[in-house]
Amino acid sequence: MKKISNNRFVKAVGFNRILLCFVLILLYFLFTILVHVIQGQNFISLNRIFSALNYAYFMGLLSLGVTFVIATGGIDFSIGPVMYCAALISGYLLTANGWPLLLCLLVSILVGSLFGMLNGYLVAYWNLPSFITSMASMMLARGVGSVFTRTQSVSWPQAAAENGQYRMLVRIVTESGTTIPTGLFVLILISIICAIILNKTKAGRYILCIGSNKEAVRLSGVNVKRWEMLAYIICGTLAGMAAILFVGAYTTVQPGLGDTFNNEAIAGSVMGGTAMSGGVASIGGTFLGVMIIALLQEGILAMGFQRDYQFVITGIIVLVAVYVNVRSQKRKN
Amino acid sequence: MGAGVKKGNAFTNNPIVKTVGTQKIVVIGVIIFLAIFFSWMSPAFRQYSTVVSIFDFSYYVSLMAIGVTFPLITGGVDLSIGTGMVAAGLFAGNLVNQQNLPVGLALLVCILFGVALGCLNAFSVAKLNLPPFIATLSSMMIARGLGSILVGGMSVTWPAGATEQGWFRSIFRLDANGTLIPVGFILILALVIVMSVFLNHSRPGRYIISVGSNKEAARLSGIHVAKWHALAYIISGFFTGLAGVAYAATFQGIVPGTGAGLELDAIAGVIIGGTSMKGGYGTIGGTLLGVFVMSLLKTGLPFIGLQANWQQIITGIVLIIAVFIDVTRNAKK
Amino acid sequence: MGEVILTMEGIDKSFPGVRALDQVSLEVRKGEVHALMGENGAGKSTLMKVLTGIYTKDAGKITYENKEVVFASPKAAQEAGVMIVHQELNMLNHLTVAQNIYIGREKMSGKLIHDKAMNKAAAALFQRLNIEIDPTETMGNLTVGKQQMCEIAKAISHDSKVIVFDEPTAALTESEIKELFKIIRDLRAKDIGIVYISHRMDEIKEITDRVTVLRDGAYVGTIDTEEATKEDIIQMMVGRVIYEEPKSKSNVAKDAPVVLEVKNLNAGRMVQNVSFRLHKGEILGFSGLMGAGRTETARVIFGADKMDSGEVFVNGQKVVIRSPQDAVRNGIGYLSEDRKRYGIVVAKTVAENTTMASLENFMAGLFINKKKEAQVAEEYVEKLKTKTPGVEQFVVNLSGGNQQKVVVAKWLVRNCDILIFDEPTRGIDVGAKSEIYHLMNELVKQGKSIIMISSEMSEVLRMSDRIVIMCEGRKTGEMDISEATQENIMHAATRRE
Repeated sequence: MKKISNNRFVKAVGFNRILLCFVLILLYFLFTILVHVIQGQNFISLNRIFSALNYAYFMGLLSLGVTFVIATGGIDFSIGPVMYCAALISGYLLTANGWPLLLCLLVSILVGSLFGMLNGYLVAYWNLPSFITSMASMMLARGVGSVFTRTQSVSWPQAAAENGQYRMLVRIVTESGTTIPTGLFVLILISIICAIILNKTKAGRYILCIGSNKEAVRLSGVNVKRWEMLAYIICGTLAGMAAILFVGAYTTVQPGLGDTFNNEAIAGSVMGGTAMSGGVASIGGTFLGVMIIALLQEGILAMGFQRDYQFVITGIIVLVAVYVNVRSQKRKN
Repeated sequence: MGAGVKKGNAFTNNPIVKTVGTQKIVVIGVIIFLAIFFSWMSPAFRQYSTVVSIFDFSYYVSLMAIGVTFPLITGGVDLSIGTGMVAAGLFAGNLVNQQNLPVGLALLVCILFGVALGCLNAFSVAKLNLPPFIATLSSMMIARGLGSILVGGMSVTWPAGATEQGWFRSIFRLDANGTLIPVGFILILALVIVMSVFLNHSRPGRYIISVGSNKEAARLSGIHVAKWHALAYIISGFFTGLAGVAYAATFQGIVPGTGAGLELDAIAGVIIGGTSMKGGYGTIGGTLLGVFVMSLLKTGLPFIGLQANWQQIITGIVLIIAVFIDVTRNAKK
Repeated sequence: MGEVILTMEGIDKSFPGVRALDQVSLEVRKGEVHALMGENGAGKSTLMKVLTGIYTKDAGKITYENKEVVFASPKAAQEAGVMIVHQELNMLNHLTVAQNIYIGREKMSGKLIHDKAMNKAAAALFQRLNIEIDPTETMGNLTVGKQQMCEIAKAISHDSKVIVFDEPTAALTESEIKELFKIIRDLRAKDIGIVYISHRMDEIKEITDRVTVLRDGAYVGTIDTEEATKEDIIQMMVGRVIYEEPKSKSNVAKDAPVVLEVKNLNAGRMVQNVSFRLHKGEILGFSGLMGAGRTETARVIFGADKMDSGEVFVNGQKVVIRSPQDAVRNGIGYLSEDRKRYGIVVAKTVAENTTMASLENFMAGLFINKKKEAQVAEEYVEKLKTKTPGVEQFVVNLSGGNQQKVVVAKWLVRNCDILIFDEPTRGIDVGAKSEIYHLMNELVKQGKSIIMISSEMSEVLRMSDRIVIMCEGRKTGEMDISEATQENIMHAATRRE
């Protein structure tokens, strides 16, 4: 064990991330076998991969966003409903009010940012506990989305239809019929940007330090409230962007839902090595964690099980991941 | 009361004010104000049936709220009460429908389901030392998925009031020749008194408060901290099961996948009632009053034209206000 | 003095990297007050924690009432009659005084707690001890001194045979100390064995019968208090190390300009009408007992806590300080007494901590210039002689003295001219201590000005050019080092309004 963790390659990539890669590959083979045994179908197919990726796109952005918040030692339970709320409002403006597509996409991101600002303001400036604050704004997001669309669900245009260009952010189907998973590039690009923000900029430095010891940072003369709020704004903004990738893949959004994604996004982040107590976060790890979540959901569906099984499994994953997390933090101190 | 005031003034020394508590008197004022406000705004509100539905709503919420008061006193929280309640109701109701289980036994199963969920939470929080909000969020997801899986994704209808097996509905709402009498309120009141005595005048109650006040000091006083910490969550689970009974008795059918968000009504009620999110202090009587504020709001808002989707927004806003008051009150001390 | 009730022989206790106790012995007789002395970190508290079952010993033997015992937990020790009054208060602030005293052994009537009986018993207890506290008062509403009294009353109510007092007078006023001594004499008369830990030499002479001295985790010796002089005990405590000579006169020039002036500062109960001046190149000592309001004053000046009223002038200019940002902008840096909580971010590297307060100087556009950061951090590691394998080392792996140096570096990189050192050597070993002193002297030579809050008399007398003394939130004395003595500082530190 010690030898492995001292290996230069392992050190550079990180033991945790290599482990996640193994889990990912293992899981893929496991599903291949299970799906074959249970359903008599072939799990290895491009369609399955694309379908899993569809799930990974929006989940990835949610997970990346919440990574920033967890890095400050907080939590955001509103991301799923906020994503839905953003998709509902912007989609309603697009389909019912005929607003231009580009503006609607901007509105979607803006809605996310506003919720992030609200959470961040309440947590950083009013010192409210983040979990209860974000649960409150989860209710707000569910209510606002549903009030805005008068409890109607919203269907975004198909790729071929008018205003369908936004789907090029998720996939492009060429004339010869090949599919280019552009969403993957979008996700990778945003992941890289997030990694740069977290590791190379002042914002990332302070966000991580606040998570580690907020009071010490404040007593260094740093405006901790501003940086803490920024983490929530980043999170909200990414949730707004996730909305676009979500409708690009799944078209329809219903009001009053979305909270089931919170847990999966948090699971992705915590599996990736983000410490629940704050101060430690890994974008690469989060990326891999999200891939595992996406593969899980695809595999469970392919085995012919309800999505309910995924709730149970993610619940257990979070418990285990947080337990491992708490243990390893304790050992360090 | 100011921090410097030791002996209090004439008002706070008044025996009635002292026993009831300032916050509770304010909350009673709010309840009266809301009742007058809604009656004034809407003639339809001034009906006996409204009173019945206010009580109907209050049963399951106040049972959840009484239970969750205990984890809150320890400085934690239990987010699994909403979906746990629904899962318990689903599971037990399904046994009645599919296995012809007598309703009496089914109600017991419902309560035991809640206790089992409470034990899971107790294990992760008190034994594994996981952060309560994330541990109970996981069990919230698990309960949600499990409830649905156990009944095969179909909604469950408990026996109707008129049928032979429907006697349990009159525990809460007695149908006396067409006039509905909210007898459940007496039951709730009795439970409030019992739990209030338990909290304030029994050793387990005292030790649960001690865990929330200063865990380390409690440990050094020779108190088995983990045991009492666990008990708080088991109590919460027990009341989740009871709430499941009330939920089944109040509504015609129970739909899988619902219940998320109901925990926030209960938690908001508890905090409005004066229990601190910081732990160490709580009042069961206040919890009941707080629930009535929520109950009045939820029942009254449709009468002034704000439909169900607005209720989520109101829950969110009330929750933020309640937590804000709690945080400022603690900051003053 | 009666027969021996408790002996500890050859006690060993190690923590990772530290030998906290090395073959330590202690003997307590019935009806004696036995002082346990030693400098910070000598192992007094560790020894008592081993006794009361909070720590498990590695080796050695504890004999209590002629039987060898091992207490598995504080509760087991309590039940056997061995009780400790902790230095840090262990109170349940939400419960009442009586509920606190009887926690874990409530008086019951049937299944319910009999609070009335507990209130009555507590009132009787207080009356016996001559303490005036209402048993139904909520613990959180009491002053620190009163809470300490409750803790003592709790220990006595246990029918203990051995009671350990861990620095009981640190938070007490003079009159409260008198009360406490009365209680202790009373207990002694009742044949209870008492272990008394304190730093205050005059208390030791007044109240104790024998003294056991520890040094660096080792047993030095036991002597009768009556036969020993102050100097004997000091000699035992410090051993070969020469006890520091106090500074005899100020090093600050008469015409040195005032860099910081505070006028009529008020903030809550702990800071009342505090005024003072700090000159360029001066070390201004802040002395006082625990809870005197020194740290609170420093935090208000630094903007960490809210100011109710008052004025602050930096270099003659009136400044408004509402947050640490404002303070840092005005060149004030604060080194907290509690480094781990308020000074450093332990899970981050030396370099990251060094640039914490001045990150804007290390930016290349949007990005942090990590090369420059590392360079500057290395420069200060060399300057301050910080012992670290490298600037990429996590601060958590450094010793206390070296962590303190990282905090100093943070403020020097920020170019702060006024530094507030709050208990600069707390929890730092003897060797590193003199390095910190040397560093502070170097800093004032370079024209920095220092406010030094310290509870160690020898430190105050050795380092300060001038001394401000506080008690219960007020400034109760100010003197030049040339006129300062332990006695007149202590007198001012216990002067109540």
